[in-house]
Amino acid sequence: MITLIYRAIALLIFVFTGIELFKTDKLMDKINACMVMVPLALRILMIK
Amino acid sequence: MKSLQKHSLLMSIICLGISTVIAVMAGLDFYSFRHYQEIIKPGSGVTETFQLSQFNKNLTGTFGDTTVYVMKGKKEGGSLLVLGGTHPNEPSGHMAAITLIESGQIDAGTVYVIPRTNNSAFTHNDSQEASIHFYHFTTASGVRTFVYGSRATNPLDQWPDPDVYIHKTSGQTLSGSETRNLNRAYPGVADGNLSEEVAYAITTMVQSLNIDMEVDLHEASPEYPTINATVAHERAMMIASQAILELNFEGIEMSLEPSPVKLHGLTHRELGDYTNTLALLMETGNASQGRLRGRSSEALVLTGKDKFYTWAAKLGFVYIPYDDSGVSIETRVGRHLQGIIEFTKAFTDQEGKAITISGIPTYEDLQSSDLGKWLN
Repeated sequence: MITLIYRAIALLIFVFTGIELFKTDKLMDKINACMVMVPLALRILMIK
Repeated sequence: MKSLQKHSLLMSIICLGISTVIAVMAGLDFYSFRHYQEIIKPGSGVTETFQLSQFNKNLTGTFGDTTVYVMKGKKEGGSLLVLGGTHPNEPSGHMAAITLIESGQIDAGTVYVIPRTNNSAFTHNDSQEASIHFYHFTTASGVRTFVYGSRATNPLDQWPDPDVYIHKTSGQTLSGSETRNLNRAYPGVADGNLSEEVAYAITTMVQSLNIDMEVDLHEASPEYPTINATVAHERAMMIASQAILELNFEGIEMSLEPSPVKLHGLTHRELGDYTNTLALLMETGNASQGRLRGRSSEALVLTGKDKFYTWAAKLGFVYIPYDDSGVSIETRVGRHLQGIIEFTKAFTDQEGKAITISGIPTYEDLQSSDLGKWLN
């Protein structure tokens, strides 16, 4: 159960980060968002 | 800037594309390592195998389940359990167990061998250690690949770590990350976390099969004081003493440490307390897991050569003889295998039940030949 909650939280942050990626006009913020999304994706998929 | 704003959507898509490529590459690497099938080629001395989950059904289908190799001798006698890979970042224990499985013959008694005791810990590396994933040996059948894993159970299989790890049966408290250390989980819990379930299965196996003696094979950093040592439960002291005298007569420096009565969760304490087995643990010196090492590499794992450890040894910071020649995996595996030979001889002398192992390389054999020669 706790794993499902954790993955749901990770997915939520992933989605918000993705929205930020497309909303912001600053290149550095876009790069930051992409860097954050990589480990989140791996955690959501329980690969790492 | 205006140009960037104009092309914001395009930039977002490019950034997303790059991060997707990175995520896929990293994901494939992690996934393939987690699911890598290490091949062990049992020799004719292995008479049967079974899964550890036989002794705890909760392990069935999990990464905690592991294969137990049974080597039954022609004559009746005593029984021995050899644990390799309790800590998969200590490769000589793992390789000594595999060498026993692949080249050993049992003339009397029964030997049980678990080469991947913490199987889950073989599916990842410790973070921020720059550890290698694999190391290789050239054998008669070609180049073979073995896994260099982590000290602890994979957090994908067991999480979250508590702030403080409370050992269930003693109430002992340790750092939270130690909750994933199999050698702090004994005697284990049938329906606990994965490490506790594995520990429970091993404890139950030792009880159910009435295994007479157990040897857990480890390595330690050269700067760690308990090294080139055998740690023995108080009931195993006489056997350990005789064996260690023999090892020292053979020129293999080995000290004897009593298992601390109040340090809980370790095989030499809990298997000794909760079962009738004579519990022993051996440590060799492994520079590739040490804090003082330089670059982590396969060569470091196999040769044990590290210029920073040579420097540290000159300054008196290490507890083993160490110089430019390092401590090779042949030397480390040789120490473990010679130790097992001497423990079984002492057991046979003192307990009146024979455990006789032949075919495995001695310490001397491994001073003059590569380990690969002894693998199938």
